[in-house]
Amino acid sequence: MHPAATTEHAGTPALLAEGISKAFISGQQRTQVLDNLSLSLDAGELTLISGPSGCGKSTLLAILSGLQKVDSGHVRALGSELGQLDMRALERFRLQHTGFVFQGFNLFPALSAFEQVELPLNHMGLSRNEARRRAQQSLEEVGLAHRMRLRPSELSGGEKQRVAIARALAKEPELLFADEPTSALDAANGQMIIDILHRIARTHGTTVLCVSHDPRLVVHADRVLAMEDGRILSDRRPPAPTAPDQGIPS
Amino acid sequence: MVALARKTLIYEWRRFLPAMLAVGFAGLLQLLQIALVLGIFGSTSLYITGSSADVWVGYPGTQSVGSGRTIDADVESRILMDPAVLRVEPYIWDDGDWRGPAETGGVSVFVSGIDPSANGLMFSKALPADLRARLAEPDAVVVDRSALDQLGVDIGQTATINGHQVRVVGISSGLRALGGVNVLCSLDTARQLNDDPTDSGPTYLVAKLRNPAQAAAVAVRLRGSTAFGPYTTWSAKDFAKISVRYWLFDTGAGAGVLFLAGIVFLVGAVITSQTLIAAVNGSMREYATLNALGVGVGALRRVVLEQAFWVGALGLLGAGLLGIVLMLLARSQDVPVVLNVPAALGCIILVMGLAAVSGLAAMRSMRRADPATLLR
Repeated sequence: MHPAATTEHAGTPALLAEGISKAFISGQQRTQVLDNLSLSLDAGELTLISGPSGCGKSTLLAILSGLQKVDSGHVRALGSELGQLDMRALERFRLQHTGFVFQGFNLFPALSAFEQVELPLNHMGLSRNEARRRAQQSLEEVGLAHRMRLRPSELSGGEKQRVAIARALAKEPELLFADEPTSALDAANGQMIIDILHRIARTHGTTVLCVSHDPRLVVHADRVLAMEDGRILSDRRPPAPTAPDQGIPS
Repeated sequence: MVALARKTLIYEWRRFLPAMLAVGFAGLLQLLQIALVLGIFGSTSLYITGSSADVWVGYPGTQSVGSGRTIDADVESRILMDPAVLRVEPYIWDDGDWRGPAETGGVSVFVSGIDPSANGLMFSKALPADLRARLAEPDAVVVDRSALDQLGVDIGQTATINGHQVRVVGISSGLRALGGVNVLCSLDTARQLNDDPTDSGPTYLVAKLRNPAQAAAVAVRLRGSTAFGPYTTWSAKDFAKISVRYWLFDTGAGAGVLFLAGIVFLVGAVITSQTLIAAVNGSMREYATLNALGVGVGALRRVVLEQAFWVGALGLLGAGLLGIVLMLLARSQDVPVVLNVPAALGCIILVMGLAAVSGLAAMRSMRRADPATLLR
């Protein structure tokens, strides 16, 4: 895995959004989800976006990760202007640079944990051996070395989410997006997921952007953005960075 | 490469089973339908394919073996003059009204008057030598096993055809006819049975060539002479085709078969595509996640198409196995079923085409695999 410094160019943010707006129209109703929002994220940090449901945090995640287009404003990710990329180019960008972890684990029932992780790597043009090496390493990193031949039906919720993280991590992405990764899990498993995400940001220099209203996550984040009505209300860095990964949740 | 399509198909086989059954049964229907059509309509050219004649001579414009008219018997000498011809024999084809000993009423029969000598050409492939020899007896006839009940006779019994008495001396198999019953007798007996004195000549002359490969060329060469009244010639292959084609297309039966094949294809495709779409929808979130991770929509569509291919292949395998069993069963019951390589290939293409169409329909539903929908 690459060292922490790869994407930390002097002063260049890994992810930059400037004046982005997004509205959804259903029938006569026009809902402004994001309202002239600007944001800059640095590499190697775990940033948490929190806020009440419907505040636009999931839409912000979709836009910053290149899954959705903006109405106005622009998004720069790793030096690429996302708005100028067509569907194919966006897919290629996501393949090379991004990882995703969703609230639902979205694992294929037919595949073993190892195959779930290996599958996207097959499409990255990696050799068979390299793909397998990375899959093995990622699963070891999330502590599932002994469970990697099992199918999702044989894994617990926490284990499934760790497989999903390993699937994203094995791609060695510069950007890792997580949407409510802990909301389907109990306290102990949620804690473990938070620790893993935090460790990824630290040790791989990955820009981790996590959307969640889970208060346990706050103490682990390097930076917390509070959103409401399509705007960022506050942007703060929690004072006590939890040094060891075994931090006690608040 | 992780074999997502195959692993999903195996692990979630219950989800794909309805699609496989739909494909399989559609395939089975097409297969049996083609086999039956070939069997039934193939029997209309049995007179030609069951004989070893290379060239047929008959009345111009004859559309099928059963609709011939008499030609002048002297044409035989014209045919024999050709150096390529080895042997010529007359063949009498006549309609008859059969009255059996049992209470069957009148039965319409097709009387075939053939040369009963051991080297006779007519039905040389369909009639065993001992049965053929027995036809030389006066008033002897051979009937097909499948028609015994219909004719109300058994071996050794007598009946009448057009009022003349005949005796059943043998029972053959594989001589089933379409729209009537084949009755075989000698040329002499056939002439006795014919009650129309104006109908004196043979219906056909059949010829064996020194080199059967020249059949088409010789048939063309023998045409055109009118010195002995109207006649024309065909190679045996061409005449068989004309005969089958007449039954398939000019009687409306073929159009019915094609129509039914279309319906089976349509119904099969609708059911298969619907179950495939349901199976794909079941994995939609996973596909969307792969797309979020950058796996292209094209690659995901290939997974669906591969699944459709396997559904088609497995359905075909099932249809094939069941089809063979059913065809063996049909054969044992004297139901005419025939399957040749082009027909089997056609079936395979049809079934795989059905799977492909269904796969394409399922692929369209892949448009819903939008990863943005996962962020809700």
